[in-house]
Amino acid sequence: MSMTEQQGIAAIQAVAQNHGQAAEELPNLIALLEHLFPKSRLVHFLFTWENLAFSAAVLALIIFTALRAARKKSFIPKGLQNVWELVVEVLEGFVTGILGPRGAEHVPYLGTLFVYILLANWLGMIPLMKSPTSAWSTTIALALMTTVYIQWVGIKEHGFFNYVKHLAGNPIGILGLALVPLMLIINLSIEFLAVPLSLSLRLFANISSEDKLLYKFAELNVLYKGLPFFFQLFANVLVIIFSFVQAFVFLLLSTVYISLILPHDHEESHDAARENSLGPIHEPSTKEH
Amino acid sequence: MEFFQENIHLSEVFVQLLAFLIVFLTLKKFAWKPLLAIIKSRRERFESEWSGIEKTKQDVAALQKDYLAHLQKIDEEARAKMQEAIREGRRLGREIQEKARLESQASFEKAKTSLELEIQKARLAMRLEIAGISIQVAEKILNEKMNDAEQEKKALEILGELEKKL
Repeated sequence: MSMTEQQGIAAIQAVAQNHGQAAEELPNLIALLEHLFPKSRLVHFLFTWENLAFSAAVLALIIFTALRAARKKSFIPKGLQNVWELVVEVLEGFVTGILGPRGAEHVPYLGTLFVYILLANWLGMIPLMKSPTSAWSTTIALALMTTVYIQWVGIKEHGFFNYVKHLAGNPIGILGLALVPLMLIINLSIEFLAVPLSLSLRLFANISSEDKLLYKFAELNVLYKGLPFFFQLFANVLVIIFSFVQAFVFLLLSTVYISLILPHDHEESHDAARENSLGPIHEPSTKEH
Repeated sequence: MEFFQENIHLSEVFVQLLAFLIVFLTLKKFAWKPLLAIIKSRRERFESEWSGIEKTKQDVAALQKDYLAHLQKIDEEARAKMQEAIREGRRLGREIQEKARLESQASFEKAKTSLELEIQKARLAMRLEIAGISIQVAEKILNEKMNDAEQEKKALEILGELEKKL
């Protein structure tokens, strides 16, 4: 191993270890700045709130482009308006395909969630950037937000009494009433623990693994010239695809959870909408819970 | 538990939640609603224009049917009129032909009559002439004593003159 290679690896490891982790993630801009200016308060503040800084960048990008696109309102869309209308139309078709025509009211939440997660996942592909979704704090926040949204939809659709009844397992008879405490514990655990944990851990684990994969290939590129570069190209393609898949899975599961909390009279319209939708949509399974 | 403490920072989770909530509410009001409204209005416009096009198509088809029926009617009328004209033409042709034949026959008859009259006139005039000449010949014969040969010669001269005159 030459001197330059050793220096490269050492630099990467030093920046990563400054970050308080083992050397398993490519250094980002803020980590580099912290390495270069260890006494700067601003840099240290950014370094402490690193994930939030990158999240804010993604959110700012989404707000800026979406508001610009929405302001144009031209009949024949161009540029940003065209891109955003495409996103909105595809998401609307997907969500209403599962939830039925009334699912359109959930498109803003689910759409914002999907676009944010997708861009946050892809951000890690850009050199000196980092995926905010590779931190559990980010994904648990999104999962908790989704859980709150789902329960709020449940209360709004059923009414508070029926919502509690639903959580208690819709008890009928003495046996049903006797099982209420057990059903409450089970349903509350599922709704407020299992759902956010499964949603957040899946996304966090996948995206942080992607970051580790990219780091390992970058390390191999420093150690060995040639072949690892092609492996890294392949890994980049995989990361692009898996990032999209993870964002899509989060969207799909959130939509399915909403469909499960909706009243049953939605099922008829849901079936009709599914017949009209372009692609086959999987039946929301209760096994998800 | 250490794993949770290492990876989940409550302050960060709270700020992330708040940031996402603010972005969601902002986008819902200022981006998603206008974009969905634009798409909906465009879809409605397309649908109304499509239905308009369908209606126009139906109108055009009905008009085409009417025009075809009208054209067929005109064609039939034209054909009937043409046949009528042909019949009329043939009738007129026959009439003209008949008239011409009658006229030509009449003029022929007239010419024939006038020719016969002329012939009769000529015969009469010739008779008169012959009579006059005969008288003149007789006078000359009587006035001139001629031998037989001279008489014969004279008679031939007179006959020659007569032939010339005729």
